[in-house]
Amino acid sequence: MSARIGIVGIGHCRFGNSSEYDLVDVIAYSANDAFRDAGGLHLRKEVDQVLVGNMAAGMFNHQTSVASALVSRMDMEPCPAELVENGPASGASAIRLGYMAIASGMADVVLVAAGEVMRVVSGWEATNIVATMAHTEAEYNMGLTLPGFAGMFTRLYMEKYGMTERDLALVAVKDHDNGAKNIYSHVQLPVTIEAIADGENANVVNNYVAEPLRMYSTCPISDGSAAVILVNMDSPKAKLFAKKPIRIAGIASATDTHCVHNRKDPLVLDAVRLSSEKAYAMAGVGPKDISVAELHDAFVIFELLNSEEVGFFERGKSFLGVRNGETEIGGRIPINTSGGLKAKGHPVGATGVSQVVELVRQLRGEAEEGRQVKDPKYGMAVNFGGFGNNVVTTILAKD
Amino acid sequence: MIDFSVYGEQTPHISGYKCLKCGMLFYPAPMVCKGCGAHRDPVTGKHWEQFDLEGPCKLLTWTRVWNLPEGFNRKFLMFGMVEFPNGLRASGRVECEGDPVIGATMDATVVEADERPGTPVKVFVFR
Ligand SMILES: [Zn+2]
Repeated sequence: MSARIGIVGIGHCRFGNSSEYDLVDVIAYSANDAFRDAGGLHLRKEVDQVLVGNMAAGMFNHQTSVASALVSRMDMEPCPAELVENGPASGASAIRLGYMAIASGMADVVLVAAGEVMRVVSGWEATNIVATMAHTEAEYNMGLTLPGFAGMFTRLYMEKYGMTERDLALVAVKDHDNGAKNIYSHVQLPVTIEAIADGENANVVNNYVAEPLRMYSTCPISDGSAAVILVNMDSPKAKLFAKKPIRIAGIASATDTHCVHNRKDPLVLDAVRLSSEKAYAMAGVGPKDISVAELHDAFVIFELLNSEEVGFFERGKSFLGVRNGETEIGGRIPINTSGGLKAKGHPVGATGVSQVVELVRQLRGEAEEGRQVKDPKYGMAVNFGGFGNNVVTTILAKD
Repeated sequence: MIDFSVYGEQTPHISGYKCLKCGMLFYPAPMVCKGCGAHRDPVTGKHWEQFDLEGPCKLLTWTRVWNLPEGFNRKFLMFGMVEFPNGLRASGRVECEGDPVIGATMDATVVEADERPGTPVKVFVFR
């Protein structure tokens, strides 16, 4: 891959409850923020392609053709614009397709903006809408939802490797510590291990959602958006942008069986392993080169599993690394410095772009005090579409 | 006029599928055989055998989901993943007293469920 493609602008809104706002306005907010970061809103006229990441606006907001709506809202007509839907990996897929658009020579500047407004419906309706990504006949119709799958998955892992519920809580404590320092986080309150695992009232504070998963093992339902501006670093247009590009060194995706039960070993996330292997090869680096990682943790078990599949830990050993503080800021491999989906929130379509925005902030050295990783060189993001069946891995480099 | 509906309700079934060219089994139905690449025509079903997926199976994992939405008039629902003796696996609901035991032999049955809006759907219940 000869193209050098970098990120020259990032935008993000605070995740949380934006249900009183229109979805397209919420996405436009981050697009605007990204142009401001890149040097000014006038730069929108330099964009050759707009890609929008969103999972289910048709169901949540009765809004379709979100990309057309965004271009018009941002005064960017007649710029080409398309919507990218890949479940909760819609955001990272939009970045990947933006990369491909530039690599193909058909564009030099791409705006990727992603968002979801989910809190317009009840919590259960949101869970139900997200569950439509499962196999209709063999999974969704059974009444299964994503927390249900994650519960079954967590139990398997605990049985096989001896992880405890307290280990899950330790991941949540670390994520909430980071999220409390992130201006974009939905949940900005730290939690203690006493409150959610060790204390007398822990069972009440941290109630079961899908056993053995508890509330603090599950991400909240959030609204929000994020945006990045991609540029061909070797094009004359690159000089128009104020910020030094953070290079996309590797970006790759892989798929797995739609039905979770059809995987040879339901505990093995082949699509994570394969997409990260491809991204490592493209970037010419390995797990030891990564300084900071954002790993899709809609349920904390995913943070652990992902950290094993991408090679940070041996299989079945990641929770031991958490016990030793290896994934904290300042640890061997800081994971989910943003607070992750657990604390920062998970507006499904926005998450992949939000993860990349966090990596850019880390690589630029712009993260808030107390959660900036020291002198990072490479950052990795893993974004899940479906229950691990359509995964995008992105590796960013500070040149 | 003969109203066939008065002859009683049909027992619901969920099907597994066998590719007759190479013998590979599937659930749910594929459109292309992973074993030999044979196409399955969902209308004629030619060269494929359809069979009821039910009976004894082994519980691989389970969960108990709390705070169910409207329509589910109970405190919690249990779900599990099972493996049949023919190697096929399925996900569905679990009904038993207390906590299910991983590795235990269950009996897979099929019921019609109507908690969600729309047409009733076929649901595995592992007991
Ligand atoms: Zn075959």
